[in-house]
Amino acid sequence: MNTITAYKCTNCSHVMFPRHERCLNCNEREFEEIEPTKKGKLLTYTVVNELPWGIDERGRVIGVVEFENGIRALGLIKSDDPKIGMNLTTDWGVVRVIGGLETYGLTFH
Amino acid sequence: MRPVVISGVGMVPFERRDEDSLVDMLAAAGLGAMDDAGLGDRPVDAVYVGNMASGLFNHQVSVASALVDRLNLMPAAADRIENGPASGGSAIKNGLLAVASGYHDVVLVVGGEKMREVVGPRATDIVACMTHPTAEYIYGVTLPAMAGMFARLYMDKYGITRKHLAQVSIKNQNNGLLNPYAHIQMKITMEGILTHPQAHINNPVVADPLHLYDCCPVSDGAAAVLLTTTELAKELNKPAVEIAGVGQATDTHTLQERSDPTDLKAVTIAAERAFSMAGIQPGDIDVAELHDAFTILEIAESEHVGFFEKGEGAKALESGETQIDGKLPINPSGGLKARGHPVGATGVAQAVELVWQLRGEAGERQVKDAANGFSLNFGGFGNNVLAFVFRREA
Repeated sequence: MNTITAYKCTNCSHVMFPRHERCLNCNEREFEEIEPTKKGKLLTYTVVNELPWGIDERGRVIGVVEFENGIRALGLIKSDDPKIGMNLTTDWGVVRVIGGLETYGLTFH
Repeated sequence: MRPVVISGVGMVPFERRDEDSLVDMLAAAGLGAMDDAGLGDRPVDAVYVGNMASGLFNHQVSVASALVDRLNLMPAAADRIENGPASGGSAIKNGLLAVASGYHDVVLVVGGEKMREVVGPRATDIVACMTHPTAEYIYGVTLPAMAGMFARLYMDKYGITRKHLAQVSIKNQNNGLLNPYAHIQMKITMEGILTHPQAHINNPVVADPLHLYDCCPVSDGAAAVLLTTTELAKELNKPAVEIAGVGQATDTHTLQERSDPTDLKAVTIAAERAFSMAGIQPGDIDVAELHDAFTILEIAESEHVGFFEKGEGAKALESGETQIDGKLPINPSGGLKARGHPVGATGVAQAVELVWQLRGEAGERQVKDAANGFSLNFGGFGNNVLAFVFRREA
């Protein structure tokens, strides 16, 4: 896997991420698995200086991106000058080392 | 349902309490509430402990069982109740329902957290465990980061400035100076945290646009309320304060799945439920304790619970309406900003402050003629919220 899996309701087409057992819009239980598109738009972000134990850095930019197919997801924004509404390209990389294990997630540039 | 009242309250000052274990603090606050009520040797039917993460912070679980042992309340029922930063509110709600239903007559509710046992970045990590494990936590998101992303949208939408946020911290830290139980006892000025060219040295960015003085401190502490029936309250020491309304509501785990991330729906619904149960309106409230874990939240919550229209909360703040001597005092205790936020304790500490206010025992920070109080305890990032209406017994 080199991206996230999101879920599209087979009844009402509502797009969800992360997973729910019942559609947030209509309670349907069948979903089509979908993946983020290559391009997305930044909805909001923050530059975090005080990070949790195990992340030895300052100024990590975390934001919410909306993809062209409607998925919304959090990820790391690799930009020195983030702006709401900016267009971003989707990547996949190590976002955190937890208990010695490299954890992969969404990154954007 | 029969009416439920608070007959006694207790609290230990919130601060860094290296000498006390979590259970030491719970015991001191619990005993304080029993003694305040003058309960004597009357039995306590149940003990509910609001606590978020004793297993992670203190390597101790089953803390409610430990507490009944310390207070010799056996064979009382004992449960720990966890709902993140709203654990205290959830514990009060469950105590209220137990007495209201007639199943119990006397319930001791104690909220507490000992967070300073671990270093700061560990505490940040433990608190971040309430976020979604694979959609949020892995990215290093923190609660200040969630609040930062929310603040950016909310400030843009409603024209809120950093000056408004600073006004919340200054007001609440001034109130905290009048509260001997508050963690932060320090006067701050607009110059020192915002307008001076070097203010950023005092007040650095935590998760922009939020700075240090937009965030509550990390504290140790515990608070307790003794819930009883109106009949028993008549035999006890103190004037009873009725919990006239309670409401709870939830929202999606992640912020990004809300159709409008600036809309704190669970806050609105919890408050509506509490007001409806109490049979009063937001305009009837004389004093409120809101969950200002971040300054932006005091403004946003004051609007979502119905005190002000959307976009008007900052104006009310600016005009002094929410000061202790204003039309609707908000956070006379100092709020989470100054009193501190030992997560499991907060919902109970809010109730304790409102009981002191409604009994006229709040000393220098007393709100004049307060009859109806309101509290809001905000769990997760607005995904599990409790609201309460408190009423002075006539």
